[in-house]
Amino acid sequence: MIRVENVTKVFGANPQSVLPLLEQGKTKTEIQSETGHVVGVKDASFKVEAGQVFAIMGLSGSGKSTLIRCLNRLVEPTSGKIFFEDPEKGELDVTAMNVEDLRMLRRHQMSMVFQHFALFPHRTVLSNTVYGLEIQGRDKQEREEIGLKMLGMVGLGEWAEAYPSELSGGMQQRVGLARGLATEAKLLLMDEPFSALDPLIRVQMQDELKKIQAELERTILFITHDLDEAMFIGNKIAIMEAGEIIQIGTPEEILVNPRTEYVARFVEQADPTGVITAGTIAIPFRGTAFEQVREAGELKYLARQAYPEIEYGLDRDGRLREVVSAERSLTVEPLESVLEGRSHTSHERRRDDTLLTCTNRTVLRKLLQGRTYSTLPIVVTDEDGCAEGIVDEMELIGAILEKRGVSEEEAEAGIEAPRGRSSTA
Amino acid sequence: MIDPTVVPVAVAFNPFDVLDVPAREWITLLVDWIVAVFRDFFRAYISPPVRAVMEAVHWAFSSIPPLLFLALVFALAWWAASWRVALFSVIALAVVGFMDVWSPFITTLSLVTTAVVFSMLIGLPIGILCSRSDTLYTLIRPVLDIMQTTPPFVYLVPAVMLFGIGNVPGLIATIIFAMPPVIRLTNLGIRQVSEDLVEAGIAFGSTPRQMLWKIQVPLALPTIMAGINQTIMLSLSMVVIAAIIGAGGLGLEVYAGLERLNIGQAFVGGIGIVLLAMVLDRITQGLGEHAPGRRKSK
Ligand SMILES: Nc1ncnc2c1ncn2[C@@H]1O[C@H](COP(=O)(O)OP(=O)(O)OP(=O)(O)O)[C@@H](O)[C@H]1O
Ligand SMILES: [Mg+2]
Repeated sequence: MIRVENVTKVFGANPQSVLPLLEQGKTKTEIQSETGHVVGVKDASFKVEAGQVFAIMGLSGSGKSTLIRCLNRLVEPTSGKIFFEDPEKGELDVTAMNVEDLRMLRRHQMSMVFQHFALFPHRTVLSNTVYGLEIQGRDKQEREEIGLKMLGMVGLGEWAEAYPSELSGGMQQRVGLARGLATEAKLLLMDEPFSALDPLIRVQMQDELKKIQAELERTILFITHDLDEAMFIGNKIAIMEAGEIIQIGTPEEILVNPRTEYVARFVEQADPTGVITAGTIAIPFRGTAFEQVREAGELKYLARQAYPEIEYGLDRDGRLREVVSAERSLTVEPLESVLEGRSHTSHERRRDDTLLTCTNRTVLRKLLQGRTYSTLPIVVTDEDGCAEGIVDEMELIGAILEKRGVSEEEAEAGIEAPRGRSSTA
Repeated sequence: MIDPTVVPVAVAFNPFDVLDVPAREWITLLVDWIVAVFRDFFRAYISPPVRAVMEAVHWAFSSIPPLLFLALVFALAWWAASWRVALFSVIALAVVGFMDVWSPFITTLSLVTTAVVFSMLIGLPIGILCSRSDTLYTLIRPVLDIMQTTPPFVYLVPAVMLFGIGNVPGLIATIIFAMPPVIRLTNLGIRQVSEDLVEAGIAFGSTPRQMLWKIQVPLALPTIMAGINQTIMLSLSMVVIAAIIGAGGLGLEVYAGLERLNIGQAFVGGIGIVLLAMVLDRITQGLGEHAPGRRKSK
């Protein structure tokens, strides 16, 4: 949908003169003290696929707003290229567009929600909401219909005729949101759209945004300071520091494998239970933690050295056929089916004769819920139903405390006990 | 000892004797030239529309019966400002009527209205253009300074030479004298519109024209109204002075009173002018605060 290549933005009298210094690897602070130029964004490259939500995070002043504003050229990039995939016209070079094409792009393809709302004080809430449609030249009845729908969605249906000055900050922000959504643009640029909302409405808006995004197939670039929000909404997250994107990845990748100390500090407070998946923390059957203990007909039986009493019988395709514990065959049930309608604070004794299975996309929270049902390890399968590995108590605890899974080397080496995070990461 | 009769050369030397700039002659020549070249043009193309508008306005105002006129003023003042202003305006105008200067009052009001209409017609577009071009504004600024600081009397001479005497030259001088605030404050108002809002307009793909009419002008309206208010006040003062070159109305009452040493007549005219000024000021200030979207504090 949108592709950004090596975009750099330098603020100051002669931005071009600073580019060679950047290439020499001077830092933002050095350049600022030597030349008085401010590096807003440095060499940013990324790609957002249609229908994805791309979250951008970073400390204040790290260049998030500058980057997102480069995309619709509210800020003119100093160097670099931006390509927009138009549904009809194919790939367009935004950085090379003339005024008229750019206007059409902004009018129909990209819309924006502003960090500081930027509502028009002389227009009513409804007339603010439909501004983009008005500019598009839609007739009054049609645009008011859409406007009222959008206002209803953000919970401000009753306020259509009020003026922005009569609204609280959070309400104004929602008007900005409605205005951004109303134009039906495929690409939404959202600069901290939920920052002024109270927690309850915030969660509601996040759900709403996900719904809109899925239903209307919008592509969203989303700036936020809230990691849990980024992880909930974002398919991918980019972390920025001093104008540079220092890591891009899925929420889980970033949480489990922070590339630098800065990223690690960022993700420290995140709640991993909705992000980390079974596939990441499972101990793989093909790793050295398991060994084959016997073979019977079609089935190979594997067991862990540390817990040899449970034997997992896999067929030739790698599907789990039987689990044997203390010479008893155990019941195997999918995690999803036992969780339905179950309270996780039941005082019943946990099962030790039923083993649960789940797919590798199952999140930590679900696995924990599963553990309230059965004390046995949970078997993780891939999309085709082939068993990948198991998740036991240690893996769950490790994921919560250290936010990380079994690394490749550890899996190979069969080590699983020491879980201290190496600070050299 | 120094001989006091021998003044050192350096002191005796007066640099102003060396060069005698014949400024008076030059300016006279320049004005004569302008008059010779443009007089017919100005009289043919500028006087008629000004006169036509003035006469139409005057006809309209004077055909409204005084009682209805007061009622209309009351309604307008209430809508634009408040019932207090409405009440004040009606009392002030009633005083004018009772002092028997209703007809000169109507004349002055027509002159002011005409002058303001033309000032706006010319000043608003210039102000808007200035707000979009720094170069244009730097060029126009000194002209505005000159227009505003030149003593009002000075306008009268070329006005008479170009247009003769009467209401029209008075109006022309007034329009020129009163226009700068509209230009200045229109320019200022548009430039003051917050960068955020202009960006929002751009981000939704507004054309420059949509930006101007949907965002900039509405938001600049209170400032523009302040400019119009100043223009009205300046017009009023100039229209009074223009009585010297034959403009009618309350100014003429004052001028005639002074000439005949009829202090009473002069004062009645003066009071009428003051009351009219106050009424116009209150009503237009009220209009300026009328802009939508401001927190209502009434
Ligand atoms: N118009 C400008 N002129 C000069 N410098 C600017 C301008 N806009 C931004 N900057 C600088 O660029 C850097 C990045 O600013 P930006 O607004 O993108 O940060 P941000 O990540 O959005 O911060 P926040 O979370 O506070 O919104 C800052 O150092 C800022 O000072
Ligand atoms: Mg920002």
